Amino acid sequence: MSEAVADPDHLLRTRGATHRLDGFVVGCAFSRDGSVAAFATGEGTVALTKVADPAWTEIVAHDGAILSLCADVAGSGFLTGGDDNTLRRVAADGAVSVIDKGRRWVEHVASFAGKQGLIASAAGKQVVLRDANDATIKTLEHDSTVSGLAFDAKGKRLAVSHYGGASLWFTGAKSETARRLAWKGSHIGVALHPDGEALVTAMQENELHGWRLSDGHNMRMSGYPQKTQSFAFSRNGRWLATGGAEAVVLWPFFGGGPMGKAPTELAGVPDAVAVRVAFHPQHDIVAAGFSDGTVLMSDVGTRRVLPVCGPGKQQGRGPGLGPGLGPGLGPAGGAVSALAFNPDGTRLAFGTQDGTVALIDLSTRP
Amino acid sequence: MSDHLVPVTVLTGYLGAGKTTLLNHILTAQHGRKYAVVINEFGELGVDNDLVVDADEEVFEMNNGCICCTVRGDLIRILGALMKRRTVFDGIIVETTGLADPAPVAQTFFVDDEVRAKTRLDAVVTVVDALNLPARLNDSPEARTQVAFADVIVLNKTDLVDEATLAALETRIRGINRHVRLHRAVRGNVALADVLDQGGFDLTRALEIAPDFLEDETHSHDEDVSSLSFAVEEPLDPAKFQAWIGALLQEQGGDILRSKGILNYAGEPRRFAFQAVHMMADGGFVAPWKDGETRTSRIVFIGRNLNRPRLRRGFEGCRA
Repeated sequence: MSEAVADPDHLLRTRGATHRLDGFVVGCAFSRDGSVAAFATGEGTVALTKVADPAWTEIVAHDGAILSLCADVAGSGFLTGGDDNTLRRVAADGAVSVIDKGRRWVEHVASFAGKQGLIASAAGKQVVLRDANDATIKTLEHDSTVSGLAFDAKGKRLAVSHYGGASLWFTGAKSETARRLAWKGSHIGVALHPDGEALVTAMQENELHGWRLSDGHNMRMSGYPQKTQSFAFSRNGRWLATGGAEAVVLWPFFGGGPMGKAPTELAGVPDAVAVRVAFHPQHDIVAAGFSDGTVLMSDVGTRRVLPVCGPGKQQGRGPGLGPGLGPGLGPAGGAVSALAFNPDGTRLAFGTQDGTVALIDLSTRP
Repeated sequence: MSDHLVPVTVLTGYLGAGKTTLLNHILTAQHGRKYAVVINEFGELGVDNDLVVDADEEVFEMNNGCICCTVRGDLIRILGALMKRRTVFDGIIVETTGLADPAPVAQTFFVDDEVRAKTRLDAVVTVVDALNLPARLNDSPEARTQVAFADVIVLNKTDLVDEATLAALETRIRGINRHVRLHRAVRGNVALADVLDQGGFDLTRALEIAPDFLEDETHSHDEDVSSLSFAVEEPLDPAKFQAWIGALLQEQGGDILRSKGILNYAGEPRRFAFQAVHMMADGGFVAPWKDGETRTSRIVFIGRNLNRPRLRRGFEGCRA
């Protein structure tokens, strides 16, 4: 580990493919088949690359900023929502088609892969639920603007966060009403426990709120110096990783937790805040992106830390990155603003506010 | 200090006062600037601009112990999204609905770190019309609040009344908000320099309109909203001031719409600037006092149920 700390960019340098986009990276995602990675920007651009053999192509997907990005329900494509009020599909070859054009920003989009693929998109107070053929199943109404969407692991339910709490909808066409989970305040994002035990939201007041779904019991997870912009459950649901503090804060969802339990803090970065977190799809490994551009991976069990990328040049670090990364390319100038693992956990993608994007190969090599 | 922050101008005014006309006047003026506009009344008049965001005013209460701390959740989202564009806006203009209280918009800029990191609240500009203002001030507490809260008031439709009426209106406006910058207009035709880049919430420019400070203490106070200003010649004790203002805003923050001050702390060469919107306060050291300048501490309150003797005693009690 000492060697890695001496060169925090070692992984990026030896196993990374980087590219520079002209815009704020608002999201990154891998296609369902794992073959393609996509990065979306505030300028309406999507950068696509094959995962196996990185080569970047950029396309203009929206007339305005892209606000949300996720994998399509199947195959190698993606779904994007933008402030041009459209929901679009971006194919691996860069072909763009409009799924819907409304009267509000499409701020959130989520998909579920399965026998019955599902697409949820949020514009204003409405969420439209579509099937894999883009046919509308139903429109879900809320009293205030929707701030987050999350499908459960089986695609049976959709969690929606908004002012005053969250709504839990059954995705089947026949069910018309939501279970309303109320808690005063502005809820700015949502995650569902993989076994459906809990629904968690981030709040404007620098804390998280949770509801145990069996009985509606409230859970409060507080103590953050900043807003939690990103949070994720581990695959087995034992841990909830959260940003909003210098360290990555992990809440235990076992043994009665998180109520009455102290959270675990994984390694952080001094004078920076974890702003993006992602859990590995198989193992208890958390990736975290920080406000200074640092990206780390941490093993929850052993607490070992693997640096992926050092702080960006905005923090006074020189631009020198050594050979191989191209002229003038900083490692991750600006705060990390997008972070994702691929479906089998062999790649990590991230992007930053100043337009740096990277794809790291984590697979074992002979 | 805040050159890289995008200025946000809040445009308030009751229905029919001429907000949209002023907005279009600003947007169509030959200034070469690029604005994003957040509007709430997709209504009678169109807004002519490249980027118009239609928003619902979603006001919610913060669970932060301040009973009157409400913020605009929609603005937090919209400003956050706009700041992800590379395009640098020269400004953002937020138009509020006719009955809106400006406080939640202003408090949003005190509360949210992301909003503060990229944007700054420049000023609250309130449009009133010369013909209907007296009636609105009489029947609408919202209209009185908008006048009281403003950094700039555009007195519109001045062609509809005579000079004596205008003078009386201006006196009445000053009875509510003594230090506001007041501009007459017909069909919203004010100079852009009079409404944009006002620094109304910039601590370094707090009370820069000071020349008429404390002038004419005899304004009538028949309005329920008024402004009071106080001055102390002797240096103040920082701890005493913080304790007093903290307790005052905690107790009366609901009634005190805005407060601002420039303070002379004992033994401190720099001025201390202070401002608050209801209970949300902000302060810091700004430029040093000039050589030979009289170091007078001054404070202004705009609000309801202000008790002049009590506030004066409190402020004077902060002397070192």
